[in-house]
Amino acid sequence: MTGTRAVAALLNALAFAQEPIDTNCTFRAEPDRFLAAEARAQRQVQDRLTLFSQEGLSRFSQDGPSRIADARDIPQRNFIDQAIFGKLIQNNVRSASLTGDYEFVRRIHLDLTGRIPSKEAIESFVADTNPNKRDQLIDSLLYSPEFSRRWTMWLGDLMQNAAFNSFQSIQINGRNQFHAWMLKSLDDPNRSLKDMVWEALVAKGNNYDEAAAPVNWNLRSRTPGGPAQDSYDTAFNRAATQFLGIGHYDCILCHNGRGHLESLSLWGKDAPRTEAQGMAAFFARMRFTYTTNDQTNYYFNSWSIADAATGNYDLNTTFGNRPNRTAIGATRAIPPQYRLGQTPRTSDWRAEFATFMVEDPMFARNMANRIWKQLFNMALAEPVDQLDPARMDPKNPPTAGWSLQASHPELLERLAEHLGSVNFNLREFVRVLVSSSAYQLSSRYDDTWKIEYVPMFARHYPRRLEGEEIHDAIQMGTQVLANYTVQGWTETAKWAVHLPEPVEPRSNGGALNFMNSFYRGNRDTTDRQQLGSILQQLNIMNDNVVRSRIKVAASPTLRRVAGMADYGAAVDELFLMFLSRPATSAERASAIRFYETRGAANRNASTEDLAWALINRSEFILSY
Amino acid sequence: MKDRFGIDWSGAKGKRFWRAPHVSRRIFFRHIASAVGGYFLLPPKTMEASRIGGAPINKAKKAIFVFMAGAPSHTDTFDFKASAATPAAFAPESYGDITWPRGILPRLAEQLDNVSLMRSVRAWAAVHELSRTWYQIGRNPTSSLSKIAPHIGSVVSMELQDKNALLPAFLSLNATTGPGQGYFPSAHAPFYVSPGGNGLGNTTHGDGQPAFDRRYALLRELSQGDSIETDFGALASELAQYNLSARRLMYNADVDRIFTFPQDERNRYGNTGFGNACIAARNLIRSDMGTRFVQITIGGWDNHAGIYTGAFNPANNNALIRQFDNGLGTLIADLKDSGHLDDTLIIAMGEFGRTVRHAGGAALNAQAGRDHHLQQAIFFAGAKVKGRSVIGSTNSDGFSTDQPGWSGDRDIRAEDVEATIYSALGIDWTTIRRDDPLNRGFEYVPVDSRYDYRPVHELWG
Repeated sequence: MTGTRAVAALLNALAFAQEPIDTNCTFRAEPDRFLAAEARAQRQVQDRLTLFSQEGLSRFSQDGPSRIADARDIPQRNFIDQAIFGKLIQNNVRSASLTGDYEFVRRIHLDLTGRIPSKEAIESFVADTNPNKRDQLIDSLLYSPEFSRRWTMWLGDLMQNAAFNSFQSIQINGRNQFHAWMLKSLDDPNRSLKDMVWEALVAKGNNYDEAAAPVNWNLRSRTPGGPAQDSYDTAFNRAATQFLGIGHYDCILCHNGRGHLESLSLWGKDAPRTEAQGMAAFFARMRFTYTTNDQTNYYFNSWSIADAATGNYDLNTTFGNRPNRTAIGATRAIPPQYRLGQTPRTSDWRAEFATFMVEDPMFARNMANRIWKQLFNMALAEPVDQLDPARMDPKNPPTAGWSLQASHPELLERLAEHLGSVNFNLREFVRVLVSSSAYQLSSRYDDTWKIEYVPMFARHYPRRLEGEEIHDAIQMGTQVLANYTVQGWTETAKWAVHLPEPVEPRSNGGALNFMNSFYRGNRDTTDRQQLGSILQQLNIMNDNVVRSRIKVAASPTLRRVAGMADYGAAVDELFLMFLSRPATSAERASAIRFYETRGAANRNASTEDLAWALINRSEFILSY
Repeated sequence: MKDRFGIDWSGAKGKRFWRAPHVSRRIFFRHIASAVGGYFLLPPKTMEASRIGGAPINKAKKAIFVFMAGAPSHTDTFDFKASAATPAAFAPESYGDITWPRGILPRLAEQLDNVSLMRSVRAWAAVHELSRTWYQIGRNPTSSLSKIAPHIGSVVSMELQDKNALLPAFLSLNATTGPGQGYFPSAHAPFYVSPGGNGLGNTTHGDGQPAFDRRYALLRELSQGDSIETDFGALASELAQYNLSARRLMYNADVDRIFTFPQDERNRYGNTGFGNACIAARNLIRSDMGTRFVQITIGGWDNHAGIYTGAFNPANNNALIRQFDNGLGTLIADLKDSGHLDDTLIIAMGEFGRTVRHAGGAALNAQAGRDHHLQQAIFFAGAKVKGRSVIGSTNSDGFSTDQPGWSGDRDIRAEDVEATIYSALGIDWTTIRRDDPLNRGFEYVPVDSRYDYRPVHELWG
């Protein structure tokens, strides 16, 4: 058996397709017939709002003040607010009012730590009379260990950390090292995202070694079924898509932009294939070496990356994943040239590329745009991986017929500058975003809402929690913690957000299926999605992940509530524990009546029933 | 092997060269033109779809897609070739055009009147994950389209789903992950079930139906003040709709009948996970409750070592090949009995085939197994395919295609298999949708002038 597996693994690692592979680029530009990409993103946000409105936070309006304001009355706390509210004022659009304490405390906990707040955290925050209490809470959450955990999940998505992939697997050991490197990096409050990306791009060594952990980024780019140039193309294209937000290089690596990108990208429509290949050429000296097929060896199925002193991006391919590369006149190789004109000053081309890339203004724009999206649930420029470098700079506006890509172009420039001024420190950058009044707007909008308002951020946009966050929210409420074994880890995972990738825990199929039904993606062929499904509904109603945790016998928090003779107090606690807000008067009356009707003898069962009902409210799985 | 235009002329001997494998008329003329006028150096132009193959043949209402993950040996199954190493107990017999290893596939041997085998099939890649995804999405996963490309079953769901039906159109049995609905709405996602015979998972409440009813009533009471806003238009009620659909599946006698089966039934199907999935597939096809595409995954075919003492051990009645035979053979027989076979297309295949030539001229490798190989064969049954027939042929040991045996006159590819499935189900396989998030147009079957992918209608004679 072990022999079989060793051979199989070796073949998996080494097997190439033995034939030319068709490029199968089945994209065809006929954009007049569709909604523009930006409009599509707005539509998606709009759909979420629609979904959200059903759960009826409008019921708050029975109890609370109106959640609509004149944009002039919202305090402008930093440059973000000047841009957002300036535009609202200019367009005469009213703003949602600022969040109340309950809405804010739930949102900021979820966004910064991936968990709903505990009942105690909510109560002490609400009771706090310090006018700076929001900034203080932001500060304490930014520097909590859970911040690095949650944002390692975000970074793992960005850096596509997955053990098994359709191109090149990095195996469990590689994934664990890469995950540990990200977590350790984010634990360091002084670490710069720019340095992390630079290291990932230039790393050398064995992908199972701690010291070489970021090498796992480039290892994934090794491309089956083609010549080495296909791997250089993939390495460059992944870097461009994830770190610059420019996904259209994928098209241009096959063919010129002309005839393909006319209505999609002002920059891309005239970009020749050689421009993309000049970028990919920086990777032409990167070499992959398989280590060993000895299954008893720690380095079984690992790979090393090194750089050759010489080597070129040759125009000599006759098969593979992209159309043939053939000599252009006397030119038999494409020399490395960065998109802004730079050429390598040393023979270490990969390091030169990394340096050019992290200094590229698109790098800061892309990172700022993606982090904004994570917190505001819609990016300033959508889609985040199809940025158009020719439509970014408001000082250098695009030619007629084109508009700047971002909804707030000056703001995106300013955010990119700010990211540079805090030296790409994630915490400090997040701080400026979440401290703004724009972030702290209510998601409720007690006035006629129009889809034209969406790109103006006139309210906060809700999001559905990720599968991991839903799992952990159930745990926060019940305090019944998991104990998931993760291959290669000495400690078990007690929280789903701690898991190293979205296909874990493999050791617990029940929990895996529960979370996967919320579309966690696989960091390979599928991205995370915010869709609903029948399976989600069946799972949240009936799955053991929920049912086993709401048992009074298992949950210390529910046991305490079940012991309370005062039903009103019990109901108040349950609402804070699960929905992070007090019950409305109608809800409170219904719940108390439920306890009373069922009687003291059923107090445990009634508490379990109420916990179940609150988890099944659709607002439970939303951050709003 | 290939000239500078990527054309492999080696397979052309004995035929008029412009009809050679891998060379469509268009590429031939492009080749000629480039030699004359440098046409090949012009920027590639988006070409209008030229689709050879015509209208969908429309032979089936539903499909069962058995995916043999790990890639089974084609020369021990659907393209049987006796070698020096083949155990005598394989006992091959002839059934029409088919030579069949009756010793290891006895139940399926009884069903060959309704079976056609594709033998001129060649996978694009011999890498498991890559090729597995390729077949399930019908296109190259290394293209950036892979992230939005739906599973074949999701396309079938998109086309054939009955919105009022109780069950999803696409069920995936005995898998928990894989290619999904791509950019399609989640209603077309694979609905994963691992049937154990005790009902559909999470359609009952582990704390009992009284507890569920009480809880659900409480939930409704608490939500009473919630207004179903209609200000935002028709897209409003997604979550509520899913909840409603989920509720309809719960404590539903019709659903229970599909996913609950007694022990004697399980025994008939071999009492295995695969057998249970086959029972569920049969019940789904018979029930007519909305399901149009059922995938069943059965793993364990990556037999690099000890193939005839492991998965293909003829002396072991519970060897993998026998589990497969028991389950699928009984499924086909049962569908025939109930009159459902003629409008159900059944496909069984892996992601590629396995090697036939090894060091020293041996049929097996040094570990008595077979390694990865591109040549493979595909099993088709039902939907009135021409029984006891084969499409194409391979050379004496099954290494590569000898005669393509179909209109494409080249190896059959994943994209052609995809087109065949759509065509059989009456779906316009030439469809190009205009609603994809990349703003490009999503082709059900990729348009490629070099191959002119098309359905293999020769299955129907």
